[in-house]
Amino acid sequence: MHEVSIALGMVDELKRIAKENNAQKINIVTLRIGKLSGIVTDSLKFAFDAVKLEHPIMSSAEIVINEVSLVYQCDECSTTFETGDIYFPACKKCASYNLKMISGEEQDIENVEVEV
Amino acid sequence: MCDICGCAHDVKDTKTISINQSLLKSNEDAASANRKHFDEKGILAINLISSPGSGKTTLLEKTIEALDGGLSLGVLEGDIETDLDAERIRARGVPAVQLTTGGACHLESALIHRGFHALEQQLNGKKLDLLFIENVGNLVCPSFFDLGEHVRVVLISVPEGPDKPLKYPKAIRTSQLLIITKSDLLPHFDFDVEKVRADACALNPSIKVIVTSAKTGGGIEEWVYFLQTNLTTELKRKKP
Repeated sequence: MHEVSIALGMVDELKRIAKENNAQKINIVTLRIGKLSGIVTDSLKFAFDAVKLEHPIMSSAEIVINEVSLVYQCDECSTTFETGDIYFPACKKCASYNLKMISGEEQDIENVEVEV
Repeated sequence: MCDICGCAHDVKDTKTISINQSLLKSNEDAASANRKHFDEKGILAINLISSPGSGKTTLLEKTIEALDGGLSLGVLEGDIETDLDAERIRARGVPAVQLTTGGACHLESALIHRGFHALEQQLNGKKLDLLFIENVGNLVCPSFFDLGEHVRVVLISVPEGPDKPLKYPKAIRTSQLLIITKSDLLPHFDFDVEKVRADACALNPSIKVIVTSAKTGGGIEEWVYFLQTNLTTELKRKKP
């Protein structure tokens, strides 16, 4: 459900970006969404496709999503590793739970392709 | 017109603008403004999130009782409809503003900003120590939206079951305190407090856990102590 609010916030940001860059039209919005962001990408696309229609400048814009995997760095042995374990990740080399997240929580607009 | 050969084909100039900012930037900016405002006024803001019926309003009622006027409180009550919760708080002599979202399943910073100014009108210039924001009952969406709070508290009640931390990891990961409520019901449910504590700590090693019962008053003293120490920290932040 929060994807609708996120899509509405995104529309506001896109309007601002378009204005700042004197864009006539927004073609492609590239997002970076981490595995742990909690954003359901299909829901976000669905929500954006519904709300974009009210704004001619982005009514035909498409979303491209770059999924970011979950990467941790071990505080004990400095090993950097990717994991699918979202609950109890442990270092793949030394099994320590003392980890720092490097990526996986992203929920960003990476770039926007516009017509000027 | 095409500027290579002059044909009528319409070629538009496109460019890719690098943005690299959060999708939730507008909410995050409003949250920072709220937090700055609370800091300037020396107010500790607490965002309470939980499923519907976990006991957020009841915890607030018990908190008002326990503090017994020792600290000045204000409450922003988030719900989809009705001002029943704000009435419960006002019945205890504490200023409260009901924020009805009209369908949205969480509060956002802009609404907190407006709600806080409405609360200030009820205060008539009285200084506030603690601002409680009771979010809409939902363990998913509220965890995405920073409201400008200093402390986020997640409540899980015993009848909801011990699997909640693992099922709602973002709520646990983004909170500083987990309160297990309705502990007087523990004899009637298979709710392993230590398992819940272990799961919560695995998701968020720095989270604190308090076990409370509004019925028996268990854990309320510990919760009040948590609030007082966080308020002290907040006041130090205001005046370094």
